[in-house]
Parts: sequence; structure tokens; C-alpha cells
Amino acid sequence: MAAAAAGSGAPREEEAPGGEAAATQAQAPASASGARLSRLPLARVKALVKADPDVTLAGQEAIFILARAAELFVETIAKDAYCCAQQGKRKTLQRRDLDNAIEAVDEFAFLEGTLD
Amino acid sequence: MAERPEDLNLPNAVITRIIKEALPDGVNISKEARSAISRAASVFVLYATSCANNFAMKGKRKTLNASDVLSAMEEMEFQRFVTPLKEALEAYRREQKGKKEASEQKKKDKDKKTDSEEQDKSREEDDEDEERLEEEEQNEEEEVDN
Repeated sequence: MAAAAAGSGAPREEEAPGGEAAATQAQAPASASGARLSRLPLARVKALVKADPDVTLAGQEAIFILARAAELFVETIAKDAYCCAQQGKRKTLQRRDLDNAIEAVDEFAFLEGTLD
Repeated sequence: MAERPEDLNLPNAVITRIIKEALPDGVNISKEARSAISRAASVFVLYATSCANNFAMKGKRKTLNASDVLSAMEEMEFQRFVTPLKEALEAYRREQKGKKEASEQKKKDKDKKTDSEEQDKSREEDDEDEERLEEEEQNEEEEVDN
């Protein structure tokens, strides 16, 4: 799935050339990148959902999709942060790369101020 | 000390694996960056839940369902997640259906096998029940007398 593999937010054009290949290789064993079932434990996701006082009940499918969405989110933010590290010619992702990605990408605005 | 919702973390090992598979080979991630991403993922789930809940409430439902979550993704400007999530949902539904059918089949097979066993067993239980009932009736009579 190009959409899943792309990972970058709207303002970003460049992509690590090796990144896409490695990503598709890693996903090859699964039927399709989007259809792979979640690796995150549903119980923990459920605990997060229940932490919201406004939520009464959540169906099993909803929990599953949230888990899968969280996975996609982790992949996306990791790739975006990596673009920053690449610009610094580093091979290790640092905390500041993450902060830069959060500032640069509109979709990550909700994270501002929450990671400290 | 109350635990804040953002402190409910997803397992480090799984988060690390997801990150590593998303990045090219040979790229590492510092502990601080990894735990920040983990925390971000928790915040993401909380935010998505809240958004999804708004859709559920608009639909006058008390239970969050899959379409609420998908609507939340669009609202949060993660439209690109919607297609892979729909695919994942279909695969999940197929798997659940398969599991359900498999367990129903197992139950049918089990019932067939134990049917004859159960007939013998229930006969024994009936005998025991009758004994117990007789004892209780005797006790009641004694109490009434007193």
C-alpha cells in the first residue's frame, strides 16, 4: 500500500530511498500491509479507552481498529522523525528529531506539550 | 498517586519492533526517542477515542464502534490511515467469523461425543437429587414440630 508506506506528512516531499524498500520487505510476509492484524495487545488499548470518563462502552472492533491505527501512527511518526535525523546525517533517531517532526507536521499538532 | 491516562503505556518491545520495521536497516533509536514515541502513541489513542466518542454520541449510541473510529481518523486529518484500517477491519471480521464457526463446530462435535456419556451421568445425578430432597423434607417436618 503506497499510502501506508509513504508515511510522510503533507508538507514533506523527500523520502529515504532505502526506507520504502525496507518497509515493503518487512511487510512482505503479511498478505497486505494494511490487512496485517494488530501486534499491540488489545487489553492495553482497551485500558486506554476506558481511561476516558466520557466513554461508556467500546466494541471489540473499535478497540481493534484503534490498536491498528496506533501502529500506523507509530510507523508514520518514526519515519517522519527519521527524515530529520537523515538531514543531520545521523543513524540514530534522537528525541529532538521527534520534536522537530511534531512541530513540522500539522497532523502531529495534538502532541504538542504532551510528551514532557 | 493517581495514574494519568498518558502513563498507560503500550509494551516497549512491540513499539520498538514497529519502529524498527518502519525504518531502514541499520538505523537505531535512542531510549528517549523510543519512549517519547510510545507516549505519543498513548496520547494518539486517547485523542482518537475522544474524537470517536463524539461521533458515537452524535449518533445517540453508547458504544463506540468501528465506523466511529474511522470517522475520528478523518477528523484528526489521518485520512491516509482510513484505507489500511478498512482492510484490517475486514481481515479481522473474517478471522472472528472463522473463529466463531470453528468453536461452534467444535461444540457440535463435542456434544455428539459426550451425549451418550451424559445420559449415564444424568441418571446418577437424578438419584443423588432424590436422596437430598428426602432429607430436606424430613428436616422441615422436625422444625415444624418444634
